[in-house]
Amino acid sequence: MLRTLVILVAVALAACSAPPFDSRYVPQSLPDQASFPDVAELLVVRCGSLDCHGKVGRNLRLYGSAGLRLSPADRPVGPCHDTAAEDDQDYESVVGLEPEVMSAVVSGGGAHPEQLTMVRKARGTEAHKGGQIWSQGDASDRCVTTWLAGKADAKSCQAGVQAGLPTATPSCP
Amino acid sequence: MSRTSTLLCLALVLAACDPVVDDAVAALGPEDPNVRRGPLHRPGQPCLLCHDGSLGNPQRFTVAGTVFQKSGNRVAADGVVVQFTDANAQRANITTNAAGNFYATPSQYDPTFPLQVILNTSGGFVRMQTQIAGNGTTEPNGACASCHFDPAGADSPGHVCVTLDDGGTPP
Repeated sequence: MLRTLVILVAVALAACSAPPFDSRYVPQSLPDQASFPDVAELLVVRCGSLDCHGKVGRNLRLYGSAGLRLSPADRPVGPCHDTAAEDDQDYESVVGLEPEVMSAVVSGGGAHPEQLTMVRKARGTEAHKGGQIWSQGDASDRCVTTWLAGKADAKSCQAGVQAGLPTATPSCP
Repeated sequence: MSRTSTLLCLALVLAACDPVVDDAVAALGPEDPNVRRGPLHRPGQPCLLCHDGSLGNPQRFTVAGTVFQKSGNRVAADGVVVQFTDANAQRANITTNAAGNFYATPSQYDPTFPLQVILNTSGGFVRMQTQIAGNGTTEPNGACASCHFDPAGADSPGHVCVTLDDGGTPP
């Protein structure tokens, strides 16, 4: 009987020895969401066409005006602006690709963005079916790296978008 | 037969089998019995699914597709000049045939993606607002119908056409 009691107490203690629910999670450092729409526009234009990351099967899945739409009522290029809901989904997609690495990069002030596979693929320093999309230090790259460092540089993002558009593309009404 | 030859044959057989592509081809259905295999067949279908240069498949195309008259019908747009400009500013003008089909073989045009496209008609032109990135879905891209399929929806602008039903210009 005593032996059984000791075992039961041991089991009960073991059951209570787990850390509290909240302490099992390490807080993640997330990049700025407020300035992300500028980054989202860049990513959608440069990476999000229907034959690339504008497909539901991609790990980096991008919704936006240049490709896959989030709302079934919308069409590619109609409306020709990304919606706020699409920006939110794109943010989730980007930060969810490599959450631990993203957290490390952001908590490090964006000093080493190349730790992210997404950055390396876009720069062409890692195998990428779409090839090199931009170069380290150019406007598109600055858009992403400034975002990872704290706040996206809107002018760089816009310049990157323009670099990816076909010439004489009509602007949104 | 030597061991090397056996391995080579096995490798060729395996290389020719892609169940995803096979399923996609099967989903296209049979040929129209009223249309001979050739330049006029299978309008609106993703040409490069079969015309990919794989062993046993028909001749490889680099770009190919079908242009229809309107967004709401599938009447062929004959005589439309499809103008491609590639990443190196190399251009090609390919004219649609009676089925609305157009295509180019590698010897005719072997572009470097991404591409820009303009449809030139007697009444004006239509410029595709986004680029063809060419990064592959099931088949190599360059086939309009791999993205431009019906019905139009969140993941497709619908088939390629020169005029919207309301008379407007497609995006």
